[in-house]
Amino acid sequence: MFRVILHLDMDAFFASVEQRDHPALRGRPVIVGAPPHQRGVVCAASYEARQFGVRSAMPSVTAGRLCPRGVFLRPRLDAYRAESREIMAILREFAGDLIEPVSIDEAYLDISAQCVGATADEALANAEPLARRIKAAIRERRRLTATIGIAPNKLLAKLASDFRKPDGLTLVRESEKVAFLRPLPVRALHGVGPATEAILQRAGLLTVGDLQDHPGDLRALLESWGPELKRYALGLDDRPLHLGDDIKSISAENTFLHDTADRPTLRACLREQAEEIAGRLARRRLAAHTVQIKVRYGDFTTLTRQLSLEEVVTEARDIYRLGCWLLARERLVHRPLRLLGLGVSGLVEIAARQLALPLGR
Amino acid sequence: MKLTIAKDQLTLGLQSVQNIVGSRTTLPILSNVLLRAADNQLELTATDLDVTITCVVEAQVVKAGATTVPVKKLFSIVRELGVPEADLEVDDKHSCAIRAGASFFRVNGLPAEDFPPMPNLADRKKVTLPQDKLRGMLRRTAFAVSTDETRYVLNGIFMSFKDHKATMVATDGRRLALTDEEVDVAAECQGEFIMPSKAINELTRLLQDKGEAEISFSENQAAIRLRGENVPPVTIVTKLVDGSYPNYRQVIPAESRERIGLMREEFLQALRRAEIMTSDKTNSVKLAFGKNTLAITANTPEVGEARETLAINFKGREIAVAFNPTYLLDALKALDVDEVFFELTDELSPGVLKINGPFLYVIMPMRMN
Repeated sequence: MFRVILHLDMDAFFASVEQRDHPALRGRPVIVGAPPHQRGVVCAASYEARQFGVRSAMPSVTAGRLCPRGVFLRPRLDAYRAESREIMAILREFAGDLIEPVSIDEAYLDISAQCVGATADEALANAEPLARRIKAAIRERRRLTATIGIAPNKLLAKLASDFRKPDGLTLVRESEKVAFLRPLPVRALHGVGPATEAILQRAGLLTVGDLQDHPGDLRALLESWGPELKRYALGLDDRPLHLGDDIKSISAENTFLHDTADRPTLRACLREQAEEIAGRLARRRLAAHTVQIKVRYGDFTTLTRQLSLEEVVTEARDIYRLGCWLLARERLVHRPLRLLGLGVSGLVEIAARQLALPLGR
Repeated sequence: MKLTIAKDQLTLGLQSVQNIVGSRTTLPILSNVLLRAADNQLELTATDLDVTITCVVEAQVVKAGATTVPVKKLFSIVRELGVPEADLEVDDKHSCAIRAGASFFRVNGLPAEDFPPMPNLADRKKVTLPQDKLRGMLRRTAFAVSTDETRYVLNGIFMSFKDHKATMVATDGRRLALTDEEVDVAAECQGEFIMPSKAINELTRLLQDKGEAEISFSENQAAIRLRGENVPPVTIVTKLVDGSYPNYRQVIPAESRERIGLMREEFLQALRRAEIMTSDKTNSVKLAFGKNTLAITANTPEVGEARETLAINFKGREIAVAFNPTYLLDALKALDVDEVFFELTDELSPGVLKINGPFLYVIMPMRMN
């Protein structure tokens, strides 16, 4: 059986959900994230806003300058999560359990079994009608558009879905994968960040084609990671899908409007985050062995501190209490905070939750 | 300082005090035991700065004086001595010579003046109770003390001496044990405090079947003097937990729907067996009370299950509640009565375990997912 992997990416997900739910916003540049006069970043931009150069993760102040007529909206994360669950449920109808959700709006599907063919290219071609049915199901039932990449592995499927957006469908055949990769910049390959890119640039390697033509396995430049990158450059990738939703941690964080060391403000923030985390733990029937706190100061110095416990925690008030305790123990609020975050990890499934005595505070 | 001492006296003294010395101490002198010799007595003191233990044993003192020597080293030497008596002599360089039969040791010490000073014991409230009574109270509560360092006010036993009653309470936020005993408390000696677990552990270790325990306390310190028969007198001085204990009375249910009598040993054995089939993931057992039966079940998916059936006297409405078996076992093991009474209301309300005596144990159930 030849491998057939789909990568599905929802188009401008947060912004599209807003435009669907608020018809008045359709056709207008919608920017989901912090307001343009406050600190914070863009979470998502509609395609209308992208025409002005607005991109996700860009500071909202910059977005406001680029797109003064943009409609800025506060993110409604609960609504997006609910939408994501609906979409993942649709994907499950097509791929069963062979789904790896990468983020709220992105997933890999392994549909090899549904697309058997005599050659790898034939199997991949068989996936195209299936991919069209998935897109149609999402469009009809959720009134949202998705872009799909079809390829023999995760690396190429992701690049294929990036190839043409929105509402795109790109197939990369086994026989044309090397040619497909050739013109792409090295940065497009999985695992290449600014550091690797800089090393490759100094060696005169700018495109994936340069890597393909480079004699040897790149070990001289990148040590042990070299041979793996060389394989990626040739379109070879046998990484399996991470199935199931075995999450490793749950966290929440807030950036403040103005840096603050005000105890009631910080406590209120932690309490809200603890509620959110406890809710997510409960929905997944999980308990946590570790609680972590994250602070960022005005100069962007960021610190994290954690505490591991023998007894698991599930309740918001325990997560909150431990968060406060970590802040106090480490004396982290000796100057105003720009950001405060709370998280849990060391997650374990539990069949029953221990209730607490109502001892009060 | 120069003295002759029986091996068993020195062993008793060191056994009493050495446990508080940690293996890694912040100050070198905290690894040492303070020895003070005078009036045919040797006083041994060890401390970790939170808890200080002193024991007085008999010795023939030739020359009074004081020094400190590494306690683990001294204890190892004394334990291995082949003769029943030893001579100790300390020179002005704090070097301690030990002669016993054909053995000779020299242990380097530190000056007694460098040892942390003993806390001032004057002007305190005092309560005296029999050691076995105190030991029973600690036994019935200590298992419920929280070990979670982030809840430090719960890291000890709450002790209250009021209205001719001593009350002790321990909780970890999920279960709470309470016991009380009649005790003479003078009006001016009433008070309450939280004694830290470390002191409780030492006290439990040192309490005897006979003799008196005198507890004296001030705002931030307590001292417990133990006077037994045929054992050297020991004093434990401890800092108290700084903080106010939560209002534990509010978590004790005023009334419950059902009160069920259970044979302690039978209940304990059944729970022990059922507990085998629990796991980290499913650390609960379900107690289902039906007409004259109690079914205890444990079920761990992919591992298996256990089911224990007990004949009981029960005519009430059927009720099923899940508990962490460890919490039930802790209490049942600490008790020595034949019969216990389990009071229950519904599957989400606290259960209360009682006996015909001064003990009460509130335990929160587990909510099945």
